Amino acid sequence: MYFSPAALLLALTACEKEARVIAADQPQTSPRGPQDPRAAAYENNAYQVSQGGRYFSWYGCGRCHASGSRGDLASAGARRDLPHLYASIAHGHTSGARIPPEQIWQLAGYIRSLPRIDPARRKRQDRDLRGEPQGPTWTGALR
Amino acid sequence: MSRLDETWADRPGWWGFLTTVDHKRIAARYIVTVVAMLFLAGMLALDMRLQLSAANGTRMGPQLYDESFSLHGSTMLFLVSVPVMEAMGIWLVPLMLGARNLAFPRLTAFSYWLYLGGVLMLWVPHALGITPDLGWFEYPPLSGPGYAPGHRADIWAQMITFTEVAALSASVNIAATILKMRPPGMTLARMPFFLWAMLIASLMTIFALPAVMLVTSMLIADRLVSTQFFTPAGGGDVLLFQHLFWFFGHPEVYIIFVPAVGFVSAIVEAFSRRPLFGHIAMVLSLLSISVLAFGLWVHHMFAVGLPRLGNDFYTAASMVIALPAGIQIFCWIATIGSGRPRFATPMLWVVGFIATFVIGGLSGVMVASAPLDLQLTDTYFVVAHFHYVLVGGAMFPLFGAFCYWYPKATGRMMSERWGIIAFVLIVGGFNLGFFPMHILGLEGMPRRVYTYGPEMGWDGLNLLATIGSTVSVLGGLVLVANALLSYWRGAPAGADPWGGPTLEWAAPSPPPPYNFEHTPVVTGVAPLWEHDDLPVMTGLKDDAREVLVTSVLDAIPLYRQHSPAPSIWPLLCALAVSAMFVGSIFTAWAILWGMVPIAVGLILWFWPVRGRATSGPLRARGQ
Ligand code: HEM
Ligand SMILES: [Cu+2]
Repeated sequence: MYFSPAALLLALTACEKEARVIAADQPQTSPRGPQDPRAAAYENNAYQVSQGGRYFSWYGCGRCHASGSRGDLASAGARRDLPHLYASIAHGHTSGARIPPEQIWQLAGYIRSLPRIDPARRKRQDRDLRGEPQGPTWTGALR
Repeated sequence: MSRLDETWADRPGWWGFLTTVDHKRIAARYIVTVVAMLFLAGMLALDMRLQLSAANGTRMGPQLYDESFSLHGSTMLFLVSVPVMEAMGIWLVPLMLGARNLAFPRLTAFSYWLYLGGVLMLWVPHALGITPDLGWFEYPPLSGPGYAPGHRADIWAQMITFTEVAALSASVNIAATILKMRPPGMTLARMPFFLWAMLIASLMTIFALPAVMLVTSMLIADRLVSTQFFTPAGGGDVLLFQHLFWFFGHPEVYIIFVPAVGFVSAIVEAFSRRPLFGHIAMVLSLLSISVLAFGLWVHHMFAVGLPRLGNDFYTAASMVIALPAGIQIFCWIATIGSGRPRFATPMLWVVGFIATFVIGGLSGVMVASAPLDLQLTDTYFVVAHFHYVLVGGAMFPLFGAFCYWYPKATGRMMSERWGIIAFVLIVGGFNLGFFPMHILGLEGMPRRVYTYGPEMGWDGLNLLATIGSTVSVLGGLVLVANALLSYWRGAPAGADPWGGPTLEWAAPSPPPPYNFEHTPVVTGVAPLWEHDDLPVMTGLKDDAREVLVTSVLDAIPLYRQHSPAPSIWPLLCALAVSAMFVGSIFTAWAILWGMVPIAVGLILWFWPVRGRATSGPLRARGQ
């Protein structure tokens, strides 16, 4: 538990967007309602959002929600707040029940960030992540 | 005499401080900034050592450790080692040439301000909790947009841009000064070895640094405007980054080391009281190092899986460099052996340097061999190796140079007793602390880990490493304290306390703003040992800032050149450039709009203040 002082210090001094706390620094439970303050801590933080992006491909979300496809979640990210998105990941998907809460927070934070990301950049990020496992399949290192 | 003073003096107060183009004042600023950086990065290192001193340390978590070694490494290389060598050149080159100033005085000021920009670029965000955390070289894809969210990697890349622009300006300045402003009689053949070292290091800088500026700019482009230089899925290549980075990175260690060779030679010569043994062999070996250094970079990439033949070639090339380095070591030993050596503190540093650097060179030959390197890469063996060459090969000569030229810069002697204490603490502590790391590396302790388990059995040696490091950091504090106290309390030095051979010792200590009353005339490599009364040349105006320009090979006086006066424009232009660099982290438009103030600034900086010449090759056409 020796992370907490560092986490506190970071939270106090670093810009909210740039802080990077490796350990879970938020209570590991589902949102307490639409006003849950943890939402901002996830959706406005670059590190949490990028972790969410990584899980997005690991859990295979991209198979139905690839960027630019009919299932693209950018508009959902714009319409829904984070607790809503949390609920639809956790309960709207059969696999959702298996995902730990922190990762759902990060996934939802990622979806919230999608409408804010320039499409070219999103494509570029996806390219960087192309070598990561995509859902249950992993095709090996890129060649 | 007083007329010269009036001509070359800065305005008093803040305005003078901001506008000065005096190479000595600017170099002093560089040195003070470097010492501050050395202190901060040293404290970080000590913090890391405390974390590692026992198994399962709890002082730092992985993120903080990442940030610490990244900040430590980047600061030590980009904000300490490279700039401090430039600073020494900026201070010493005109003095050793008997010149009044550098060739491009305002560019000197511009270099410093941009270097300061680089310092702030890294450390202000650190104070705000945004620290680059990917090591001192930030390889993609880890530093690409997919894996390095936020602006940490951009901050690192832009810090590089700042310091490299500063280093390029300083190098152009130094090279031009050495080539075109040597005193009459100082042909290339009679040029002191230190000037050769500075010239070669500057030319190497000019060839090496564009590669790293290019590669960090490509990284920024990848991150900012989604180009695909480094993403294989988009047709890019991650190895391109490594090649370009190390095409700079390997020469860089020589950009740091070559001036250090110059310091050592100057000290060895002065304290052995005989001209350098094998002057020509030394110059030639330096030249061959400078060429070879550009053909070695792949030895940093043995582990990435390049073709066998490539690895073999770079193994051989890396070992070849031991030859010229060996020649130098033997020449120094021969100079000391055949002279009448006096072991004052600067000379002690040379002895410390030779002992330590030879160990670093030997472990260098070991890791230059690709098969062995595959075992040792990314272990503490490498950490030990590069600290032996960087600290032993560059910092020790630097400390020696500091003690050697301190009396010239301040007019006071440093305390010899405290100098020896600092020397023993630093060299002893360093070897005590870093030698065990070789063994830790052979035992398999990886580099860049924030902790290790007790079952690894690495505690004892790590504790020793921490104790040694602490001792040497204490020694560093003694050295700085000695310098500070001697500034007020030291015995007056006089112009030439060591009986040195080169021209800087003919100037008063500290040198006045115009350095020399008259331009010296030179008849050999060690001018002050050849004449009791230095012959001089007159003819430079004393009521205008004038410097002498001579021919490249034979230093034949060609013309008198107006030397630019103090100006606020270098500072304002540096501010404009900084705004562009910082802005371009956030938006590509900053590059376009940032150009406007820079262009305005440069136009005003170079606004002609004199009429066109009416005679000579530069006369206006039609006259
Ligand atoms: C007594 C002084 C010093 C101590 C105690 C020290 C200690 C350390 C430590 C603990 C690390 C991290 C090793 C790891 O976890 O991989 C490190 C890395 C490094 N140090 Fe030092 N250091 C000192 C001085 C210097 C100096 C003077 C330089 C350069 C001129 C330097 C350059 C570096 C570099 C380039 C790295 C690699 C950073 C990276 O992995 O990205 N150090 N040092
Ligand atoms: Cu190298």
